[in-house]
Amino acid sequence: MAKRQFSIFSGLNYLFLTLFGLSMIYPFIYILAYSLNDGKDSMLGALYFLPRKFTLENYAEVFDNARIWQAYKITLYRTLLGTFLHVALCTLMAYALSKKSLPGRTFFTFYIFLPTIFSAGFIPYFITLQKLHLINSFWVYVIPMLFNFMHIVILRTFLQGIPEELEESARIDGYGDFQIFVRIILPLSGPVLATIALFIGVSHWNDWFSGAYYVSNKDIIPVQTLLQEMLTEAEALSSSMQRAAQQGGQTVNVNIEGATPESLRMALLVITVFPILCIYPFLQRYFVKGVMIGSVKG
Amino acid sequence: MTANLLWKRIWRHKLFYLFMLPGIIWFFLFSYVPLYGIQVAFRDFMFSGGFTGSPWAGLKYFEQFFSYYQSFELIRNTIVISLLKLLIGFSMPIILSILLNEVRNVTFKKTVQTLSYLPYFVSWIVVVTLMQRLLTPYGGPLNDLLSSFGMEPIQFLNNTTWFYQMIVGSDIWKNIGWNSIIYMAAIAGIDQQLYEAAKIDGAGRFRQVWHVTLPGIRNIAVILFILSVGSLMSAGYEQLLLLNGPATAAIGSVLDVHVINSGIGEGRLSYAAAVGLFQSVIALILILTVNRIARKVSDVSLF
Repeated sequence: MAKRQFSIFSGLNYLFLTLFGLSMIYPFIYILAYSLNDGKDSMLGALYFLPRKFTLENYAEVFDNARIWQAYKITLYRTLLGTFLHVALCTLMAYALSKKSLPGRTFFTFYIFLPTIFSAGFIPYFITLQKLHLINSFWVYVIPMLFNFMHIVILRTFLQGIPEELEESARIDGYGDFQIFVRIILPLSGPVLATIALFIGVSHWNDWFSGAYYVSNKDIIPVQTLLQEMLTEAEALSSSMQRAAQQGGQTVNVNIEGATPESLRMALLVITVFPILCIYPFLQRYFVKGVMIGSVKG
Repeated sequence: MTANLLWKRIWRHKLFYLFMLPGIIWFFLFSYVPLYGIQVAFRDFMFSGGFTGSPWAGLKYFEQFFSYYQSFELIRNTIVISLLKLLIGFSMPIILSILLNEVRNVTFKKTVQTLSYLPYFVSWIVVVTLMQRLLTPYGGPLNDLLSSFGMEPIQFLNNTTWFYQMIVGSDIWKNIGWNSIIYMAAIAGIDQQLYEAAKIDGAGRFRQVWHVTLPGIRNIAVILFILSVGSLMSAGYEQLLLLNGPATAAIGSVLDVHVINSGIGEGRLSYAAAVGLFQSVIALILILTVNRIARKVSDVSLF
């Protein structure tokens, strides 16, 4: 009897978790199908897993669109540059803070910790950005994201775990501080650097807020901000559809050939999500460890 | 003499101070300068005057906020939304990690875990776009599914009836996997002998979860709970900026969004700073209070 109960539970558990897993991935399968389907045909609905009228036209148009290209380039630049600088500078700071013999170590740790308890709020921060002439500049994407307390803590915890004997024997071999850092410490830190690069890379890639509120020059908005603008446009479109439906009118005019704004949006969504989707499963082992260090120390 | 030694030690570490220099400057500019700038909440801020050059205004902007006809609504909405997220969203990752822990098939477990992290890595823009597409009453898959059961299509978005469900649901969908990582790790750290002992005492699966697994993750749960109570005064500006519209404004307008809209949108910087400061102070009081309660009740605390 007990055994039977156990297997019913187990079966239900597998079923539930399968549905759960599907709910995580299905939205992405759906937009992939939508983006690979003829835009006009998609408006008829009843599209679930596979494209009905397969086409690459949506992608062709997305890559043809100068505005999208520009935004995609901005996203790429800021992600590459921002990630590199963030990882480099945080690692330097974390390495210094990992030195137990450093005079003032506790003070500097507290100095970077204090702002996490009480933040000034959005407005003083915004005025600071203005005063630093970062508003409406590409650098507003990079410079305000150069450091992060939690990332420094994760890096420091990792670096403290490197045996000191390694450094001492290198010193005997005549290495200076800088050489030790570059030749001994950095090569050993691959996993933690990859974790931090993933964390900050994703925040850069996904940041739409800076582009929407700190920048008015349309030439330097990133892809996520562009998606946000399209979201607002699509909302207006859907409410006009709704009005048409409520007035008992016909469905909206579908005389656009091929791609529709909606199918273009789905194609753009796919190329925005795709890079992250490809990278994160391979870094899973590392970021799981990173999260653990972060929460234990935080 | 000792001063001399200290200088020697500092000089020996000169490279490390150089390593820290960019960080010291950055934290000064982006954390401490804004802290100093909090005073704009008590001044009539003019851009030309800067933080200190604008005339004092006392508590004018705080009074303005509390006499604003919607201020009660804003505070209530913020607390309702973050409380719903806290109460429902907090337990979900725990349930998920317990269910995953009961799975014996490693490949299955790993696959579900990997899939569950996916939504965490996409932006709120992407999530809201996905919701718009999947939930639309005009040929969206979910409404098609409902109508195949003979149900009427439902307008999920921009609808007060469904607003809180959408806010809480999308928040859970996005974060459940990521937030379960820490619980999975805590469960993995539980001594297997405790389970063996429970089994010998005749505990079934549910009793093992109740008497071994749950106590094993209690400490970490308390700490995470304290941290989330600290953000009770902010309901998540990204999500609400995108999901709240005119149709749901009465129950969906929150303080975070109000600060951004009145500050950047309308240029009322001092007023918005005052609202933001009110929010920060309440958050600080909340976190200190909950921390004290947690220390009394369960010996677990942050500070």
